[in-house]
Amino acid sequence: MTAVAFTLWRRSLNEVLRVRGALLPATVAPLVFMLGISGQFQRLVGLDGFPTDSYLSWIVPLSCLQGAGFAGAATGSNLARDIEQGWFDRLLVAPVPRPLLVIGPILGAVTRSLVPATVVLVVGLAVGAELTGGVPGLIALYAAAAGFCAVAALWGTFLAVTFRTQQAGPLMQQGVFLAVFLSTAYTPEVLLRGWLADVAHLNPVTHVLEMARQATVVGIEPSLAHTLPGVAALVGLATFFGALAMAGLRRMGR
Amino acid sequence: MNAGREWRVVVALGRRATTVQFRRAQLLMPTFVLPLMLLAVIASGTSAAQGLRGFPDVASYLTFVVPGTIVQGTILAGLTAGIALASDIEFGFFDRLLAAPVHRTSLVLGRLWGTFVLALLQSSFFLLVALAFGANYPGGVAGAVATVALAAITAVGMGGISSAIALRTGSLSLLQSLFPFMFVLLFTAPAFFPRELLAPVLEDVSVFNPLTYVVEGVRGLLAGDADLGDPATGYAAAVGLAVATTGLATVALKERLRRT
Repeated sequence: MTAVAFTLWRRSLNEVLRVRGALLPATVAPLVFMLGISGQFQRLVGLDGFPTDSYLSWIVPLSCLQGAGFAGAATGSNLARDIEQGWFDRLLVAPVPRPLLVIGPILGAVTRSLVPATVVLVVGLAVGAELTGGVPGLIALYAAAAGFCAVAALWGTFLAVTFRTQQAGPLMQQGVFLAVFLSTAYTPEVLLRGWLADVAHLNPVTHVLEMARQATVVGIEPSLAHTLPGVAALVGLATFFGALAMAGLRRMGR
Repeated sequence: MNAGREWRVVVALGRRATTVQFRRAQLLMPTFVLPLMLLAVIASGTSAAQGLRGFPDVASYLTFVVPGTIVQGTILAGLTAGIALASDIEFGFFDRLLAAPVHRTSLVLGRLWGTFVLALLQSSFFLLVALAFGANYPGGVAGAVATVALAAITAVGMGGISSAIALRTGSLSLLQSLFPFMFVLLFTAPAFFPRELLAPVLEDVSVFNPLTYVVEGVRGLLAGDADLGDPATGYAAAVGLAVATTGLATVALKERLRRT
């Protein structure tokens, strides 16, 4: 059984090698946003309540999550393409449990997400972000990125098995975009105003971001208090979107 | 060259470009929704910036960041032109156009006409939605109308860039991946923050970005306050950009004809 997941994992990684520039959008978009947003809003660190004096350090984890999320959402686009081209129908008649058919591609996405997360982190550190959390912070950042990628992949899978068309691709990406930006993306919760303050407070991605920010934000030191809510949020999101994706998968071919 | 005939070609191609765009309205969704999403998040997420020393004294932070949304819309509308052109090239429609006895520039202008119309509708939509959510425009109706016109000309400039790339490469997938690269232009302009408060490197770079003058021009028009930006400079930058990039796209088309 694990051989099936392993083979599909390898197939999804092959795509990176065979399709030129397959990882480019997922890597370049967060980089541009990281450099652009930090250049635009760097003076915000002068406001009372901002936990760090480096806006770049505040934004790097956000961009890592964004890159990982886009890599995850691409799983849905690829699955929709496989459905449209009939390849997935052939997999469905195989005598294997259906969840295994999506576990391989999701693991592939998590593996691929290491590329944008690492490129963003390295560029961020090169242009002035600080690695204040050391190794524990780094582990938290990568765990948050990998977990968020898996959640985005499950969201993409759910949309792919529901709409069964590549035209749902923008919806997959925009879901990730919205989830990330309706959180403490630009400023900490104390500086948010109006409706966004309420939404960010309820948005589980806020906790995932806090977990990731242990790596670079001096006011968010590595600790269980900053890690466990993020882990719980990731588990909750993965369970929710996993259940939706599996329900959609079970409906296929009936 | 028969100017009357070429004009009819531009109008006919422009009408086709507009119709095709709205026939597949779901593909236009990101160009209308994405900038508004970013506006909503930035207006709420960074409004505390008004308390920073050096931030202009403006009545509404939302009004201050709306020009960034308008310019973002022009980039996306321009990108749509390149994607549509690359699609026409990949599916063979453009080859049929090339067989027609018309001036090459008219083929480019026809495509950009669609972008112009799209940007007119899009920027009007942004202004109305922002108004509904509390933005105010002391520049009045005249300022808003001038903003929409300025945005449409800028979108033609952006469309010229993406059309030139589409004509040079003929690759639909490349154009679809171009979005983050085009956003470099947005982030190197004072789209959401005053120029003086940008990162020093960005402040230096922004001087060379025509969108800097467009965004400041829009800010001046909407606020009715030339201290926030000079509309005439904004128009000059937009027209200059549109002329230069349309020329670039025409050159790319002629090169394409030489190659094929």
